[in-house]
Amino acid sequence: MGHGHHHHDLGGQPAGVPEALDLSIPDGELSPADVSRRGFLRGAGLLGAGAAASVLATPGVAHAHGDDHDHGSDGDHGRKGGFLWLAGDHHIHTQYSSDAQYRVLDQARHGRAYGLDWMVITDHGSVAHAKIGVDKVNPDIVATREQLKDLLVFQGLEWNIPAAEHATVFVHPGRNEVAVLKEFENAYDGTVKNAGGSTPENEALAIAGIKFLGEAVRRRRVEGALFLANHPARRGVDSPHEIRAWRDADPSVAVGFEGAPGHQAAGLPGGNAGGRGFYEGSPSSASFPGYPLESYRTWGGFDWMTATVGGLWDSLLAEGKAWWISANSDSHVNYLDTSTRGPGSNFDLNGRYDDPVYGPLLTEAGDYWPGQYSRTHVGASSFAYRAVMDGIRSGRVWVDHGGLISGLDVRARVAGDRRSTSGTPLGGVMRVKRGTKVELTIDIDLASTPNWAQFVPVLARVDVIAGSVTGAVSDRDSFTAPNTKVVKSFEVDKGTGKVSFTYSFGRVDEPFYVRVRGTDGKRTAPGLMGAADPVGPAMDVIGDADPWLDLWFYGNPIWVLPS
Amino acid sequence: MRYTEHVRYVGLSLGHGANREAEHWLYTLGLPAGVEACTHLARTPYPHVAVSLALPAAAEADLPAVPPELRAPAGEAAAAHAARRGGRAVLFTGVDSLVDTVTVADLLAQSAIDRVRVLGGAAPDPAMEIVTRDFVRPEWIDGELTLVVTPAPRGRLAPFEFPNPTPCCGGAH
Repeated sequence: MGHGHHHHDLGGQPAGVPEALDLSIPDGELSPADVSRRGFLRGAGLLGAGAAASVLATPGVAHAHGDDHDHGSDGDHGRKGGFLWLAGDHHIHTQYSSDAQYRVLDQARHGRAYGLDWMVITDHGSVAHAKIGVDKVNPDIVATREQLKDLLVFQGLEWNIPAAEHATVFVHPGRNEVAVLKEFENAYDGTVKNAGGSTPENEALAIAGIKFLGEAVRRRRVEGALFLANHPARRGVDSPHEIRAWRDADPSVAVGFEGAPGHQAAGLPGGNAGGRGFYEGSPSSASFPGYPLESYRTWGGFDWMTATVGGLWDSLLAEGKAWWISANSDSHVNYLDTSTRGPGSNFDLNGRYDDPVYGPLLTEAGDYWPGQYSRTHVGASSFAYRAVMDGIRSGRVWVDHGGLISGLDVRARVAGDRRSTSGTPLGGVMRVKRGTKVELTIDIDLASTPNWAQFVPVLARVDVIAGSVTGAVSDRDSFTAPNTKVVKSFEVDKGTGKVSFTYSFGRVDEPFYVRVRGTDGKRTAPGLMGAADPVGPAMDVIGDADPWLDLWFYGNPIWVLPS
Repeated sequence: MRYTEHVRYVGLSLGHGANREAEHWLYTLGLPAGVEACTHLARTPYPHVAVSLALPAAAEADLPAVPPELRAPAGEAAAAHAARRGGRAVLFTGVDSLVDTVTVADLLAQSAIDRVRVLGGAAPDPAMEIVTRDFVRPEWIDGELTLVVTPAPRGRLAPFEFPNPTPCCGGAH
């Protein structure tokens, strides 16, 4: 177990993580307990870039990286790089959404059976939800927590971001979880406030909403609150400057977006036969004029912002903005389920549909159950609500579709250092002296068991993607990173067990970041930025997108900052 | 038929929020034959859809007045249409023939569309089939009425614009 006791200690710490994580608060202004906690987190390498406005501006963040930093040892079951990797889904609807139908327990039992460790219930913000649903869903969630002890179930909501798309917002469980969510929804939801239009006033309301969440944490009403933008490119209404503004409003709350949207069954031929992810729209008067038509479709099941090497996500990373990706089900009504909404339901009156009943085979539904196809893997210090939130905030996250791989351990290292306890993990910042030789190690557990389409996926290729860190942009609507490209592709020549790759950056002089991606290799095309990505994901075809025949995994970035 | 001569360009707007509403309005205007009608996405003074009409020489039309605050974007829509640099065509020569499945060659021959562009791909073979979904909305790009298409099932093509996109989850509630 090595140093595992630290991890358990972390799970049992009293409240106070937020202050310790909020690096805008100097050590001198923290309570002694928080100073101690921050020191512990630093020492444990747990204080990632996620809590800082820019990885460039926070030299304290990761001073320990490159040194020993005590994050576990080999041999722990379920641990990689010292972390407990917990699979989850932050985007799930229930009978408290006007376009969904399941009980919380239905979603939770399926999610658990499909291998999830944590999930977030995110019913739509709406007048009915703000008035009724946000209260009524809570006892169902509490009961589910009691019934399924090995599943962490967060309460959240799917926020209609004023002037923009939807977002997952969720909080740490506690006596104020409903009160904070309800106040947030009533004050800041774009539908409740009739603030959906793309106006500066509505954009400001979105910023105020994110700040409200941060304030709720600082005042200790809740122990944590997170925001992740959902299906960001679907309608073209999340402009680059809005995404930057959300993050900058409170980088300890607004931490990322869906790298891959849910609704992955929506393009199945013979099924719904629409756009994968329900990405089938076109520009509108509300959309950002600069986005190309390509942004309205998924690419290998991933959102254009993430799938484009040198695209929008990379432009944020190149800027030094810590911004993470996830993958979720967005489950409303699930493909090949046999249930239907409770007959005679009155959603507007009751804030919910009555419990579902047995119904016809749902051959045209576009969604999978939580965990059935999409997973967000979080490197946590323990099996605990706060540990999951800390892991997400720190960007220790990788995502996969269809069980493409079982485990991923990526670390930036000083060349030659292969100690199990060293190296900078996903989401981390490695600070080294100029001229230090740096390399990336990638250790992958290949899929060893069948996925939920009953076949064992075969990983064909792993790509290393790297780009210069060039600092703050002058144009907040920028969405390209011209220096980012695939720097190395590794062919995978075995089908089972583990594979390991090393990529050397040589002696490093300039700041850069690196991320990894892998694929079953079944559907590829040249990337939109040309030579930056010769064999990238292909645009998904409306009506002919079988998601099981086009599998990818993506890791979050690691920054390397020589000085 | 293909080369209807349009001599007058008019910009209109009632501030519709979406293409679909603007199109519906277009059909209520009782437009004379031979009109080419386009929608334009406008961002000022607020996000809305403006409309431009290219009227044939002899056409007479009783057109509604444009509210003062929308005259500038309506004027820009007419100018973009006249210069053939902008506008998404709803009514254009030959649109009625673009139903079911047509080949690229037939689409170019039977309608005012000048060019078919495959998103991210090379120029299409003239024999390739386009599944129109009975919904074809080419755009004026660089002087050519251009239909952007994407790959479709069974080796065919389909217009990029999908006629009935799944409404945003959450919809009206």
